[in-house]
This record gives sequence, C-alpha cells and structure tokens, in this order.
Amino acid sequence: MSYPFFEVENLTKRFGGLTAVNRVSFQIGRDEIVGLIGPNGAGKTTLLRLITGILRPDSGRVRFKGKDITGFKPWAIVDQGITGTFQITRPFRRLPIIANVMVPCLCPRALKRGEWVKKIEAKAQDALEFVGISDMALEKASSLSHGDLKRLEIAKAIATEPELLLLDEPFGGLNPAETELLAKSIRRLHKGGRFGRLHSEGPTMIIIEHKLAELMKIVDRVIVFHFGEVIADGTPEEIVKDERVIEAYIGKEVI
Amino acid sequence: MGTISIYIGRLYKDFKGGILVLPSRTIAFFFCLLLLLIPLITTEPYILRVLILSSIFAIFAASWDLLSGYTGQMNFGHALFFGVAAYTSALLNLHVGLPPWLTIPLGALAAVLAGLIVGVPCLRLRGPYLALATLAFPLILTGIIFVIPGITGGELGISGIDPLSGSRLTDYYIAVILMLGLGFVMWKITASKTGLIFHAIREDEVAVRASGINTTRYKLLAFCLSGLFAGVAGGMYVHFMRIAGPSTLELMLSFQAIIWVIFGGIATIYGPIAGVFILYPFMEFLRIIPEIRMLVFATLVVLILLFMPEGLTTWVRDKIEKECPRCKLRNIATRKSCRVCRADLD
Repeated sequence: MSYPFFEVENLTKRFGGLTAVNRVSFQIGRDEIVGLIGPNGAGKTTLLRLITGILRPDSGRVRFKGKDITGFKPWAIVDQGITGTFQITRPFRRLPIIANVMVPCLCPRALKRGEWVKKIEAKAQDALEFVGISDMALEKASSLSHGDLKRLEIAKAIATEPELLLLDEPFGGLNPAETELLAKSIRRLHKGGRFGRLHSEGPTMIIIEHKLAELMKIVDRVIVFHFGEVIADGTPEEIVKDERVIEAYIGKEVI
Repeated sequence: MGTISIYIGRLYKDFKGGILVLPSRTIAFFFCLLLLLIPLITTEPYILRVLILSSIFAIFAASWDLLSGYTGQMNFGHALFFGVAAYTSALLNLHVGLPPWLTIPLGALAAVLAGLIVGVPCLRLRGPYLALATLAFPLILTGIIFVIPGITGGELGISGIDPLSGSRLTDYYIAVILMLGLGFVMWKITASKTGLIFHAIREDEVAVRASGINTTRYKLLAFCLSGLFAGVAGGMYVHFMRIAGPSTLELMLSFQAIIWVIFGGIATIYGPIAGVFILYPFMEFLRIIPEIRMLVFATLVVLILLFMPEGLTTWVRDKIEKECPRCKLRNIATRKSCRVCRADLD
C-alpha cells in the first residue's frame, strides 16, 4: 500500500475564539519543495508549530511516512525526521555559536554511538560551514547579526539530519545578496549528500516566506493560506495568476 | 637512573605546560596541594574540623550549582537532599548497623530518589513557581519528622551514630579527597555532552526541545545527579557530626548553599568550592566578635555581589587571565600575544 510522504488532515487549532488553523489538509511528496505563503496572521507559523509539536492541535491528524505523529512531543517529532526553525530566532545567547549547533547534534537521531565531544564539534563546524558562518564559530551567539542568526537557526535544524525541513521565513531580514546565498544553500541542501561530516538526507522542505520573488525561484509548489484555510495549491506559475490569491494579498477591485 | 630522570623531566614539562601556564590552574593546583598538606603544618582538631565541614559543604554547594547554576532550575530547597541522605544514613547505621562506607552511598541513593520525587512534579514549573515548590519539600519533610519522633528523634534528632573513622586526621583525608574527587567528577560532567545540554536548557528550553532533545529526561537527570552529590555530603555530615537533626533540613542550609554558589561564581563548579572555603572559615573566624558576626558576613556578601556580580572566581579569573580574541583560549594577563595563535591580545 502506498501512502503520502507527509500528510496533514483536517488540522484545526483554536486560540480562544480565534481559529488560527481551520480544517487544513494537504499532502506533500518526497523530494518536493513547497512554499507556504499567505498574508500576515493567516496561520502559517501556527501550522508549522502544530507540525513540530510545539503546539498541540485541537483536532485533525498529521501523518509522516504513513505514521500518525499527531500530538507527539517536539523531541519525538525531531526523532521521526521533522525539524522546524523558529521565525523569531532562538539562539542560546550566552553559549558560543559552535555550542549552539552542537546541541541539536546531540539529539538521538543525529548522534551516532560512541561519538565524543570532539567529533560532534567537527560535525557542528561543518553545519556552520554549510550556512557560511563557520569563521565566527567561537564567538558568543549574542554577537551575531540578525541575518546570521537566521543562518544559525538553519544550521541548527540541519544538524538533526531531517527528512522534512520546515523553514519559517528563512529570508526575513536578509539583504538581497544574503538571500541569494541562502537560496543557493537551500537548493544544495535539497540535493542531499555529504557536507564534510554532516550528512544531508536531501530533505523535503516546507518554506514559509513573504519574499515571493525569491521563493518562487526555489519551490516546486505553493500552498496559499488565508484566515487559517488553504485557498490555493499549485505550481508557482498557477498561483501568481490565481484570482483568490491576488484578492487575499491585494484586495478585491472596487468598481 | 637515566630513565628516571627522563620521566621526571617529562613530568616537569607537563607540569609547566599544563598547570603553570595559566594562573587559574596554578591556583587550583596549589589549593589542592595545600589542602592535602595541611596536616603537616598543623593537626589542631579545631582547624581540621572547620576544613572537614568546609569540604562537606563544598560538595553540597557544588551540587546545587550543578542543578540550578547549569540547568537554571532554581532549587530553593536543596537541603532536602542533604537531609534525606542524613536521616537515611543515620537510621541505617543505628538500626541496621551498617558501617559508614555503606550508609553514605545508600543515603546518597535515597537522595537520588528524593530528586526524582521532587523532579517529577517540578518539571512543568518555571521560575518563581519552581522555586516556591522546591522550597516546600524540606518543610514538608521537617513536618513529617516532627510527627513521628519515635523513629526520627523529633527535634532532638538521632544521635549515637558511628563516627566516620576513628581519628580526626583520617576523617580529614576522607573528606578532602572525596571533595576533590567529586568536585572533579562534577566539573567533568559539566564539560561533557550532558553538561552542554544543561547549559542549553538554562538558555532556552523550548529551543532545546525543538532540537530533538528530551528535556524532561535531562532535567530529571540533573535533579538526580545533584541529589546524589548532595546526598554524599549529607551522609558524610551525619557521620562526622554523629547527629542527624532537623537542622540538616533547615531553610538556612538551602539558602547558605545559594549564597556560597553566588558568592563564588555560578555555573562554574569550582566557584562554589572556593566560596565555601572562603566563607565558611571566615564565619568561624568571626566567632571572635559574636555580636556583629552576621552583620559583617552579610556586608561582605553584599559588597562582593555589588562589585563582582558574576561571583568572586569569575571576577578574579577575568583579572588574571585574558581571552584571545581569535581562538578564545585563555592566556595569562601579562602576555602580549596569544600562546597558541599568536594573535594580539587586548
């Protein structure tokens, strides 16, 4: 029997009277890069947090490789192979940057038996190299700029060797040159392989992003969110022409 | 003879390159050496007694640091572990007749169990709520002890316990070597993978969870490890003082641990040890002016915290050592360039 690689079914989350995510369903195949877009407050980040287990859904199912992972603890979800980044970066400020990446290297999924601190440090260094901040490895995380914090967040995520990577606004606050670099890294990561000691599964990705021009270059498929519901789902070319999407972003023409 | 001199030469080289290269290591080395050699200078029972108690409380304070300094789980009832181990050791010794070298580890195991019992309900609590909840546990146990004076001796406590060993000198060496050994073990734990996760939990627990690490397990581990070391201290205390009273569960003892740690330098392990070895003998010294003893003590602590908010050892370390801006290795403050990467200091 075949099953979708990743599937969300009728996922719902309410905060008091506000329904942030309302009966959302979609499927994602292995090796896809999916963009998740929508106006502010559409519930994109909430959806991501439901998937990564930081929030618990009120109803609905999340299935990964045929396994129901709804309501798993965050670490159990990482163990299954799904890792998300935070939109508002959450570094361990008083620790060196390298230590920030060593922590996810220590999760049961990424940790091989008998790996000692030195080996893990080398692995973390490779993750930093991949996102391009390895020269600052020994500085405290509090000394990083906003753009570098975003990259650190991605380094932390890929250190867990995920099969499904959820990126929450990876380009937010980056300048065009940095965006271009990061987009390149993301495509490289998606191809998979080994980066030094770091192993990449070539993860499937869901990317939340507001910078549509950059996003459209990377993704295979776009899901559009509005008021907690999916209003469109298709290739980038289809989405930019979709009337409901234009309406959600710009508003209806008043004549 | 030739071989021996080569070995001595190599040992001297290691000593010079490994210990004399940094003033902090030199200080730590000579502190250990001094502690081990003090009986050659004096065998005054009173001085040895002060140093034995300092060693015991140093283990206790360092164990608080391991839990609260590293994982940030503020434990305001750390005396619970001390007291549980103290009473367990005392009861086992008195009623079962086990010797001290068995009762102390068993007492420590009881403290580990106490760590689990406290840890589980406290997992969901954070900040002031956690502090208040942990504060309650030793009070509850004190209440239980007063309810069943038949077993626990009530307010008088349990007396008539076997001494640690026969002589004061042996007691001294047991306490000091155990303190140095356990201090080293704790320091190694904090430098390991587990220690890194403890650090990260203090910084941002949600981010650690999102990194795929079971924080519940690590927080419980921190409670248990801390309980283990505090338990050893409690068992030692009982066999040294030969009485297990409710004072081992006192609020004051919990707060004293916190004062020692914050005075010496939080999240360092060596800080609390230094803090105890400075403050405890100092308190004893102040017995010459009993009326204003507490006042002098409090003033000293407040002044230290005012001018060295990160604790004494951290402050001193920053004064005598400089961190290389490039490779982050520490160098003696008098050097102009880093000893490894030759980068300009300052």
